[in-house]
Amino acid sequence: MAEFSGWLLDLYEGQQSGVVLWFVTREAGRVRLYQDFPVTFYISGAEKELKKAGIFLQSHFPFIKVIFTSRKDLYSQNHIPVLAVETQPARIAALVRRISKQFPVLDYYDADIPVAIRYAAQFETFPLAYCRVTYEGEQLQAIEVLDSPWELDPPAPPLRILQIDLDCDPRYGKPELLTVHFDDKEHHIPIQYESSSLIRLNSILTNFDPDLLLTNSGDIWLLPHLLEMSKRTGIALNFNRDPNRPVMIKKEGSYFTYGRIVYRGQQALLFGRCHIDSRNAMLWQDYDLTSALEMARVTRLPIQTAARCSPGTGINMMEIITALKQGVLVPWQKTHGEEVKTAYELLRNDQGGLVYQPVKGIHENVGMIDFISLYPSIMTYCNISPELPIPKDLGNSPFPPGLIPITLKPLLEKRVAMKQHLLALPPDNPLKPYYQARASSLKMLLVCCFGYMGYKAAKFGRIESHEAISALGREALLRAKEAAEDMGFTVLHLYVDGIWVKKEDCSQPDDFLPLLNEIIERTSLPIALDCIYSWVAFLSSKQDSHMTVPNRYFGARQDGSTTVRGIEIRKHDTPAYITRMQEDLLGIFENASTAQELQDLLPRALALVLERYKNLRAGRVRLADLVVHKRMSKELSAYRVRSAAAIAAQQLKDIGQPIRLGQRVPLVYTIGHPGACAWHVHIPLDPRSVNYAYYCKLLVRAASAILQPLQMDEAALNTYLISDGIIQIPIELL
Amino acid sequence: MGRTIPSANQYLIQEQESFSRFRRALRRSDQLALDELFAAARKHAAALSYASHALPFEVALLSMLLEEHKEVMRLRQIVEALSQQQDG
Repeated sequence: MAEFSGWLLDLYEGQQSGVVLWFVTREAGRVRLYQDFPVTFYISGAEKELKKAGIFLQSHFPFIKVIFTSRKDLYSQNHIPVLAVETQPARIAALVRRISKQFPVLDYYDADIPVAIRYAAQFETFPLAYCRVTYEGEQLQAIEVLDSPWELDPPAPPLRILQIDLDCDPRYGKPELLTVHFDDKEHHIPIQYESSSLIRLNSILTNFDPDLLLTNSGDIWLLPHLLEMSKRTGIALNFNRDPNRPVMIKKEGSYFTYGRIVYRGQQALLFGRCHIDSRNAMLWQDYDLTSALEMARVTRLPIQTAARCSPGTGINMMEIITALKQGVLVPWQKTHGEEVKTAYELLRNDQGGLVYQPVKGIHENVGMIDFISLYPSIMTYCNISPELPIPKDLGNSPFPPGLIPITLKPLLEKRVAMKQHLLALPPDNPLKPYYQARASSLKMLLVCCFGYMGYKAAKFGRIESHEAISALGREALLRAKEAAEDMGFTVLHLYVDGIWVKKEDCSQPDDFLPLLNEIIERTSLPIALDCIYSWVAFLSSKQDSHMTVPNRYFGARQDGSTTVRGIEIRKHDTPAYITRMQEDLLGIFENASTAQELQDLLPRALALVLERYKNLRAGRVRLADLVVHKRMSKELSAYRVRSAAAIAAQQLKDIGQPIRLGQRVPLVYTIGHPGACAWHVHIPLDPRSVNYAYYCKLLVRAASAILQPLQMDEAALNTYLISDGIIQIPIELL
Repeated sequence: MGRTIPSANQYLIQEQESFSRFRRALRRSDQLALDELFAAARKHAAALSYASHALPFEVALLSMLLEEHKEVMRLRQIVEALSQQQDG
């Protein structure tokens, strides 16, 4: 028997039996090993029916092992009689489909757990875990994990990364050149010479032998297109490291979540190396490879899956691992419904977080205090789990920790430790973005775990627990408000887990310390001073200028950074030209440290708006900067009134580029009929037809969102711009 | 996921819409005053929601009264300051 140490890169079902594992090592390169790994699923139900299922299984599938046993049910906390069915990982999905079709009334457990998750529960592994491996021939004999997913600074694997970029977005044009980056080298491969480009790619893949393949549109276009080319030319393309497997293409789809339709493109998955398409990676826009790898480590999902799945799926997998370790049944389809409630209970419990209307205007020296991961903290410290009684108040629970708190605790502790580590780093430390990205992916997981508890299909969800968490969250926030008011602070705003306060002569972190201690005393929950704003402007609603809206504000922090929420700059459907103007406006204001300094900067800001307005009105703008991206919220045929998005989607469909539900349609507003033109290389757009007047309106609206606290609302700004900057009348005189 | 009961803001919008015939028959100046009353109620939407009252319109009325009383207190302060100035 031999031994080596290395990092676990990939793990998947063997074609016939067991699992295939790939390791990255320093000495022995990349190693593939096989391991026997039978998996079990369970069936419960009426005894007679269960026996019938047992006989059916044994007679139809002689290669599987079937035994009657008992196993723990989470909700009843009792052991229930079950039929345990042991088979090979590659066969379990088909077997479950077959038996559940034959016996639909029975309940199935542990039936849809990915093999990597089962393996992780048994051997404590996770993607990129540093392990000591004992093997004989190609068979893995023993694996010892020397690392932990909760490690702040894990040993870095020597990963070989190959990146392929395209010269244009395949949704809007036809790419002609591939740029391949690896080992600080850059190769350009023209795609029209099919045979030679395939030969060059093959040579790079064979010689460099990458562990990670990073692409842009690799899922929807690049990999399928290259495989198609390979088929046409007869030149085999070795994307997979495992020569026995073809590239796996998973179909595209759209689904409804949090009140909107989301489009998920098709996926091209590899075996033995990992493919990440930055366009199809869930968190790529906000974070990067670091966060995708962190997500994989803590959720234990394979890297390719973790990069593409939602944080909800990640949390679900973590909960499943806890259940498997505790020998608790993992329901296939949840059967635990909502409990019966009185009307009053429903009225009282069916509420979200506490959200106030902030006090309108500009405020100086505002402390923003927030509970650290409020909902996960409540779940962990108050021990909220579907199998446990609902706690009535903040504080410790008399029961042993439940399944959810056990799952969340290390995640929460890692996030807090990482946040503290980040705070201790000097601002210019080059490692800061590395920790920032990882902390952000942990935050996404923690944020999702609360919502997932209330999700009807969550395996370990319970709506009553979900309601209890938000009830305790409201209680914590009210106690924080009371503490602040008792100590003489003015509460400007409350928003679910954060509180904005100010008090005369309080402008330094130490001035807020007694308040923080008081809140911790009253709530027993961790809290921190997020920042002190030199100034913050809470904006009024677009519909009603008398009202403020909870999440529409901007401000400058004492550390020099700015915060912006709810204005055009943060929205996806704002043209780049307008986003840039708002950024430049905020750039003018970010150096101001008082309200008076802000007021003094108004003439400069107005001059900037006037210049951008004049350029726009005269058409001195790049057309690409006027493109807006509208999401398709329903099928094209379902639009009764043709919106700009529907018009543009129809145009794209007509040229053979259909837009799927949840995808965004790029378009430019035009004058006359039909009012919009899809942005695509094959759809001509006459610059004279652009609706500049409408874009001017959007620009004024966006500028007024920022200038409104300085007494320049939309009407005042319009007067100023139309008069070419001569008439400047503040709001109150209009 | 999703809620069974409308949020406080949704409720207030529905309630305001249910008075649209009443509003239509008012003079324009009165319509504007009525809109301000509903805006006052919306300022306390968070408290209205937290109260979980079986008859939320009572809480909405109390919110309107609260804003009115705040205005009375503000005006009273100004009057007192002015009369002190005069006396001085």
